[in-house]
Amino acid sequence: MSTEAASSRIPLVQLCYVRLAVAEPQAAATFATDILGLQHVPNKLEPFLFRSDQRYHTLCLAAGVQRSSIGVEIAGDRELDAAAEAMAAGGFSLREATEQECGQRFVRRALIVEDATGNEIDLVLRPAQSGRRYFPSRDAGITGLQSVGLRSRAIENDLRLWTTILGAKVTDRVGEVTYLGIDQKHHRVVLYPSDKPGLVYVSYAVESMDAVMQNNYFVQERQIKVMHGPGREPTSGQIFVRFAGPEGHVFSYGFGLNDIGPGHRPRQFTAEASSLCEWGSECADIAELQPALTR
Amino acid sequence: MIELKDLSYVRLGASNLEDAESFATKCLGLQIGEETGKALYLRSDDRAHTLCYFEGDPSDQTVGFEVEDESKLNAAAATLDQLGHPVHAGTPSECALRKVKAFVGFKDPTGNQIELVVRPERSGKRYFATRDAGITGFSHVGLSTTDPARDERFWTQVCNARVSDRIGDIALMRVNAIHHTIALAPGRAAGIHHVNHQVESNDDVLRSYYHLSGQRVPIVFGPGRHPTSGARFLYFQGPDGMVFEYSVGVDEIEDEETHRPRQFGFEPSSLCMWGSKSARR
Repeated sequence: MSTEAASSRIPLVQLCYVRLAVAEPQAAATFATDILGLQHVPNKLEPFLFRSDQRYHTLCLAAGVQRSSIGVEIAGDRELDAAAEAMAAGGFSLREATEQECGQRFVRRALIVEDATGNEIDLVLRPAQSGRRYFPSRDAGITGLQSVGLRSRAIENDLRLWTTILGAKVTDRVGEVTYLGIDQKHHRVVLYPSDKPGLVYVSYAVESMDAVMQNNYFVQERQIKVMHGPGREPTSGQIFVRFAGPEGHVFSYGFGLNDIGPGHRPRQFTAEASSLCEWGSECADIAELQPALTR
Repeated sequence: MIELKDLSYVRLGASNLEDAESFATKCLGLQIGEETGKALYLRSDDRAHTLCYFEGDPSDQTVGFEVEDESKLNAAAATLDQLGHPVHAGTPSECALRKVKAFVGFKDPTGNQIELVVRPERSGKRYFATRDAGITGFSHVGLSTTDPARDERFWTQVCNARVSDRIGDIALMRVNAIHHTIALAPGRAAGIHHVNHQVESNDDVLRSYYHLSGQRVPIVFGPGRHPTSGARFLYFQGPDGMVFEYSVGVDEIEDEETHRPRQFGFEPSSLCMWGSKSARR
């Protein structure tokens, strides 16, 4: 009875945070505040922790970890246990996070899961909120962590994890690029076919088109390379600009991510540049954002 | 007072009509209304033409404004004559070249060639663009000025223009509810500073940015947003150095009685609130 009730609920609640693997956290931290405009969170456990909204943190610059990971909130203990069972049965490797690991993630409990590609995903319970309001380092107009792009070299099995086990919905596809929704928004996670694991980009929502364009000129004036955009996704409707961050990481600002109605069916878009940007911007340096190449 | 009702057209001398046609259709995206061999009439909305390229000196540039009727036109001619602006009444063949019933030509204090016209022709056929630029119509002009304060007085005191906002001493002036129809731009000589067409959406401004960049059209300013009118814009260069603008979302002055011109500082952020920098001058 109880497992039935749990399995009928969509276990995913929200995209919580990104833990970014960096070799030189101090330089990356300067980028996080001076360029991205995030707020540093002083605390005893993680020296390079940042906020973007009401949550206690949405970005952790993790020195000395092998790979970046993302945190996704699960509805409750029952859902987490059910997901753990299903993942183990489905051949995914996972382990319970230690108390120290939970502390560093500012959550009460976490399962550290590996998808079929080798991306690390934390399924977490009760991520911390902050009582204090968000106060950004600069006027970038950030309203919160919005989405991540993940590389996938085993898209079928990665999709099995996200949809069958975790209950995410495929909302649209561009070639094999797959947009995944977990709440009312068009997507929170996008899987990009690739030959390796990792994050394609980390996207922060901003409050207006003005903010996207202002940030576009802001980064260009500081000799930061714009990798894709300013552009607009015909799938999600969002206006975006993606730019180079420290150590090869890519960040993005986005505005206008559409809501998905209950009757939405996933659409298939052709594998060409105009399916990723209807304005006509092209991405020269990131293979995963060149759909003609990835099929 | 000379009451300007609307902008009517721009006439531009072209050093090479073929180049002008190629730019107007492939880049700007206007529809050819008529081609005579010596002139190219281009449409941007339901009017028979709003831009005319004619074989001639590229510095020969004229802006046409519509006035109510012939009696208003005659009164305007008398006013200008009194103020010492020599007035030329259009001959029937000159009227035919402009597709208007009647017009008078004169120069503003800077020396810009202005024409006041009556009954400019409309077309029964709807506008059908040569490329999907989203153009909804010819909307305003930038006019060079050698003395902004003097020219502001001319346009607001002799004519019915009202100042909507100022950037430094540069006035943006309206003749109807649209934020500005005449934008003064400081320059050393007379001439049209830019020709504006409105487009449907933000998307169109940005799509054209990539389209025109791909066509190797020099982008001279933007994509950006004017804090004065609120319009999102893109400026780019056409044949003989003429600058064209696409924009969308220009404010309307809702309350004519209570609107007070705002003063913006003469600095880049008064021209673009996004942070784009003009490549001109």
